[in-house]
Amino acid sequence: MMLPILAQIFWTGFANAAYYVLFTIAFALIVKVVQLWNFAQAGMMGIAFYTMYTVINFLEWPTWAAFLIGVAVTAAAGLLVEFYGLRTLRRRRSSNLMFFIFTLIFSELIAYVLMFLFGTEPVTLFPSILSPVRIIHGIAVTDWDLTAIAVTSASLIAVWLFLQFHHEGQFLLAVADNGRLAELYGISAQRAYLVAFAIAAVFSCEGMYLFGTRAAVLPTTPNDLMLFAVIGTLLGGMGRLFAAAAAAVVLALVQSYSVLVIASKWQGLVLYGFLFVVIVLFPRGFRLPGFRARRAIPAPTPAQAKV
Amino acid sequence: MNYINSILVLAGIYLVLSSSFDLIIGYGGLISIAHPIFYAIGAYTAGLLAIVWHVPAIPAILSGGVLAAVASVAMSLPAIRVAGDYLLIASIGFQLGLLQIIKNVEFTGGDAGLSDIPPAITGPSRAALFAAISLSLGVLVVLLIRWIVRGPYGAIITAMRDDELALLALGRNVTRIKVVILAVGSGLAGLAGGIYAFYYQYLSPSQFDVLQSAAILTMVVIGGMGTALGPVIGTFLLLGLPQAITFLQLPPSVMAPFQGILFCVLVLLFILVRPQGIIAARRPHT
Repeated sequence: MMLPILAQIFWTGFANAAYYVLFTIAFALIVKVVQLWNFAQAGMMGIAFYTMYTVINFLEWPTWAAFLIGVAVTAAAGLLVEFYGLRTLRRRRSSNLMFFIFTLIFSELIAYVLMFLFGTEPVTLFPSILSPVRIIHGIAVTDWDLTAIAVTSASLIAVWLFLQFHHEGQFLLAVADNGRLAELYGISAQRAYLVAFAIAAVFSCEGMYLFGTRAAVLPTTPNDLMLFAVIGTLLGGMGRLFAAAAAAVVLALVQSYSVLVIASKWQGLVLYGFLFVVIVLFPRGFRLPGFRARRAIPAPTPAQAKV
Repeated sequence: MNYINSILVLAGIYLVLSSSFDLIIGYGGLISIAHPIFYAIGAYTAGLLAIVWHVPAIPAILSGGVLAAVASVAMSLPAIRVAGDYLLIASIGFQLGLLQIIKNVEFTGGDAGLSDIPPAITGPSRAALFAAISLSLGVLVVLLIRWIVRGPYGAIITAMRDDELALLALGRNVTRIKVVILAVGSGLAGLAGGIYAFYYQYLSPSQFDVLQSAAILTMVVIGGMGTALGPVIGTFLLLGLPQAITFLQLPPSVMAPFQGILFCVLVLLFILVRPQGIIAARRPHT
């Protein structure tokens, strides 16, 4: 009797983990490459969602066009943040405090602008968020679940292939390992930062598309969603993108299963509790016993590093 | 006249909030944004003590301050033990977590808010008296912080901000200093919360969210971090700004985000163009 319920919770939690994984990868990639807790990501996520919302609901353009425009606008916002904000602070050798205030206030500014433009009523990307359901071995599986898992899996594979085999991806890893050394080898750290922001924009947009077709969004919703990404990044360990993604899945499942023991209104509190436990017990991330981190990929030789 | 007195009450409250936040972030260099939750703890403690146990205003406000200080220790001890930036993340989680508790438990009034807080002062000059009390507290807090940072303990605080490793090498207990700064700052925020509770007689969780953090941060950054006068200027500038744009006669649903946009744009401009704020500290925050 209990098993089908547990299986259903697992499946729903696993499917919902899709957008959390995308947000976490976006956040963890910036932490890894730019060495920055990018709280501006919430602002970028808000821009992504409301751009798609405008294109779909006001311009009535097709979904694919909305997604592409969403990615373009979000990436442009990310590049502006990097180019006019972070680069200025970096050039001035600003303290972490200034980076933090800048990224946080950027997100707040975007939230206010979105409130000003779209109001404070929750909205979804499409008028209906219902998705066709089929029953497989007693578990309700929606089309949305399958789409979310497929999109996220494909994105994870794509980013892995990019980082491992594309020279720009390898440059990102080199800058992440040692920015100064990478620059000595002729790799532009500034360019790597811009590429990282562009990738984060794509992941943020994908995540907000999935979230916005599943649940309603307010201008302040991205702030809560970003917290999930922060915890995933912490739990996965700095610089470990795919461990962070795995942590996001675990967090989503824990949150889903928590409905068995606590009321749904307290689910958010589980997340904040996790945040504290992670900071106190696993500040450098959680590693399975006996698991050893893979050796970092060395920076490309000067011959490879043609920027 | 009541309107002006209300503004003055708020000015006093925000003087306390911004100055105490400056002690934490400007002088101490501790990155925490949970200040509004300590303000909330003070407000709810004072309000609940007055409603449930009929505790008089002064002990209720003091209890709010003490509880806020204790809560800050509970937040900071585990986070500071690890490293600098973790305090920021812990503070976000702490603020959102406590707000969720306030929103979901019955005795705080939940999402609907806590009402029927006794007025503490009655009569036609209530607002004027509250304005005087609030502003006096604000001035006292500014002077207290000025006294702390100009004394020997202030030298230790700024030394910790400028070079924590050097201070550790001198055998100072840096963790204790950080916890004390946070406790003092948060306790003062709790006192401001108590004044707020007794003046407005109504509390809502939405008054203490992350957007409130941005408002207090704005006051400190624009005024000048790490200066005694900076938060004072920031407070009056930011409280005056909404009054200045009332001539636009925008509907309230538009006015709030419009103010927020103005605040945020100001902060971003200051960070990028004049990071030291209007009043520059001796050691500029670059």
